[in-house]
Order: sequence, then C-alpha cells, then structure tokens
Amino acid sequence: MSRLEERYRLLLRLLPADYRREWEDDMVAAFLESMDTGDAETSAYVADYGRPQLSEVASVIALAARLRLGGTDAPPRSYAWGEAVRLATLMATLAHAVMVTAGVAITTWLSGNIAWLPAPPPDWMPVAAGNLWRTAWDLADYAWLPAYVALVLGHRRVAQALALLAILPPALTNAVRQAAGEVPPSASPWVMLLLDGVLVLAMAAFHDDAAPVPRRRWLRALPIGILLVPVPLFAVQATSQVLRLLDWPGLSCVLVSVATVIHLAGRRPYRPARALPWSLALTLLATTILALRLVTMVDYGHQAQHATLLTIAAAEAAVLLAVGAPLAAMTIRALRRLPAAPTEPPREGIGP
Amino acid sequence: MTEPAFFILTALLDAPRHGYGIVSDVAELSRGRVQLKIGSLYGVLDRLVVDGLVELDREEAWQGRLRRYYRLTERGRHALAAEAERLAANARIASARLRELHPRPITGPAPS
Repeated sequence: MSRLEERYRLLLRLLPADYRREWEDDMVAAFLESMDTGDAETSAYVADYGRPQLSEVASVIALAARLRLGGTDAPPRSYAWGEAVRLATLMATLAHAVMVTAGVAITTWLSGNIAWLPAPPPDWMPVAAGNLWRTAWDLADYAWLPAYVALVLGHRRVAQALALLAILPPALTNAVRQAAGEVPPSASPWVMLLLDGVLVLAMAAFHDDAAPVPRRRWLRALPIGILLVPVPLFAVQATSQVLRLLDWPGLSCVLVSVATVIHLAGRRPYRPARALPWSLALTLLATTILALRLVTMVDYGHQAQHATLLTIAAAEAAVLLAVGAPLAAMTIRALRRLPAAPTEPPREGIGP
Repeated sequence: MTEPAFFILTALLDAPRHGYGIVSDVAELSRGRVQLKIGSLYGVLDRLVVDGLVELDREEAWQGRLRRYYRLTERGRHALAAEAERLAANARIASARLRELHPRPITGPAPS
C-alpha cells in the first residue's frame, strides 16, 4: 500500500464503518486512478509524497457530515445526532445574533443618543472615533445577525460566509493588539475563536438531506431572545456596575443552565423520540460551554478583582455541571437504546 | 434531480462505467463544468443505488485492484428521460419568452 493510499484511507475513516465496508475499496481505487498522471516516474513520486487535494478532503468531510449527521431518511442514531448538531448550531448562532443587538444598544447609549437613560460612567466613554475603515471593521461582528437569518432561511453557505466575516476581523485585531503588547496575552479570545470556527463547520449539518428549519418559529425566536436577554442586561448595565463581573462564558453558562432546567422540567417521558435531539443538543452545548468556562478562568489572573471573578466563574461552572450531568447521563442512555441500523426514525422537524 | 446525479445517469446511458470512468465522462459531458470529487461522486452514487436507479454491473481486476462497474437500471433510464424532458420543456419556455421580448439578437451597444 502506497503512502498516498494510506493517507486517503485515513481520511476515509471519517465515514461511518458500515459505509466504509460497502464503498471504501471502490473509493480508493477511483481516487488512486484520479491521481495517476500517466508518467511512471511522476506517479511513483505522487504515490510516495502526494496528498489528497483540499477539494477531495472537503468532499469526504461533506459526505461524512451527511452520513453521520443524518437527515430525514437516516438511521435513528445518525438522525438524532444530525438534529442535535443542527439544534445546537441554531441556538449558538441565535445567541450571537441576539447579543450583537446588545452591542448596537450599548454603542448608541455610550454615544449619548439615548437621552432617557442615565449618562454612562466617564470611564466608559467610547474611544475617539477612528476612520471609516476602523468603524467598518468593528461593525463586522454584526454579521452574526444576517448569518442567523440566512441559516434559518436555508442558505447555509451564505450563513457560513457571513459568520466568517463576523469572526475574522475581531480575531485579527486581537492578534495585532496582543503582538503589539496593547493588551495582555490571554487565552479567552482564541478559545472563543476556535469554538466559533467549530460553529461554522457545524453548519455543514444543514445539508440537502436535512429537513428545512421551521422558519417562523426560529425567526420569532430572534425578537423573543432580544427581549429576554440583551434588553434586561442592558437595563441592569445602565444602572449598576454589577454586570462588569459577567463575561461571555459566564453569560453562556447561565443561558445553557436555564435552558437545560426548562428542558428537564418540560420533558415528557412518553415522547422520548422528540426530546432526544434537544437533550443531545443541550448536552453538547453544556459540555462546550463548561470547557470554555474552565479554560477562560485562567485569564482572571491578570484582573484586579481576580478572587471575586474566580469565585463567580467557579459558581457558574458548578451550576452548569449540576444541571448538565444528569441530562448527559439520560441522553447517553437514550442514545444507546436507539438502533444504529435503519428502522422507522422519528420524523419531527427541528423546532423550539 | 441534482445536476451531478443528472450527469452521472447520462454518463451511464451508453455503457457501464467504473468510478473514475464516471468522473471523466461527466467532466467531458459537461464540458469541464462539473468536476466531481471522489467524495461527491460516491455521495451521489450511493443514493442512486439505494433508489434503484443504478446497480452494480460487474467487478474487474485492474492493476491489482477490483474495479466496480455500474450500470443504469430501467428505472434510472425512465428517471433520466423524465428529467431531460422537464429540463427541455423549461428551456423551450425560456427560449420562447426570449424570442418574444428580444426578437433580434442583442449584439452590443448601438454605435454613437
């Protein structure tokens, strides 16, 4: 077996085992033939040092996403994973979209355009306006809002492009600032960048086999989310200093904990098929946010109130663990009971 | 029917083909516009097999490997004919409307 074949077979391990049993050898034969240049010397070189092109890798990843994160005709277990990843992706993108509206409100408040609110503290005044390029750069974060709408409307690639537009400028700004010593080096922005990157990749779960997102419900979730989260937060922030102690990982812990409690309280034991994708989605989110919370606690060492911040962060993590662990245990049991082979899968559309 | 599925069925119309043979023929039929990657090919092919539009024809040894050849089923031939008719009908509608609104070919801006 050539090195090239080994590399391609390694890539194919992304596909489910039963699919590989049926198709792997044929895929390998077709791939090796596609890499054959017709010249013995060049082909021998490619066999040793060649690698699958990025487009080949992307096609296998897309196939793996379709098979592992199944759509309506997939086996029950693949369907449950698919629905869970789609739900978790929608919820995470919704959270971003909802929170950027808070950014708009705070910017308007700091610039003195909301007369009926108390004036912001002097040390919160905005940095002197930069040039147009800098303003546009800062506004890139708001691309989460159209990214969410595009995802709900079924324009997955547009959503991915817009999400990348929202992610990359802040990441570049942060890299430059850390390199220039303007801000102390910290892990938090990089971990959040990594998670946002995973979120963009997870949008691949919205493939052609997946049922369309129930538009009305998820579009309605946007104004409801804005009323439930940024509006109260903004009101508290305008009148007190307490929210300085709540960062994005902390807020995420609170939101996922609340969502988990509501889910556990509203579960109907006689409808496990409907509850499982939601349980799995919340378990995925809880695990991710718990990891984010623990990793970002390291950065509190630089902060003036680090003892208070650490205590609050530990409490947030403990609450999330307390509600997330029972949910995870139930979800794993339910997943194991599901047959991996095709039978009659649940046919519920994703919706809140 | 997606465009890759349409071209894969068209490639299998005249003779059974193996995986890479389908990729080459689809590229030729589409004048290079549809360049199937191997993952994309098998993502479509497996569904065509499950739907009964394509089936295994034979396996042949080639350079120490087994090549699988696939052929179009009667059901696949009907599905392709129906899709080709649908596309042709759409094209006729668009062409008729174009002739109606632009009777003469547009050759560029009028000379000043």
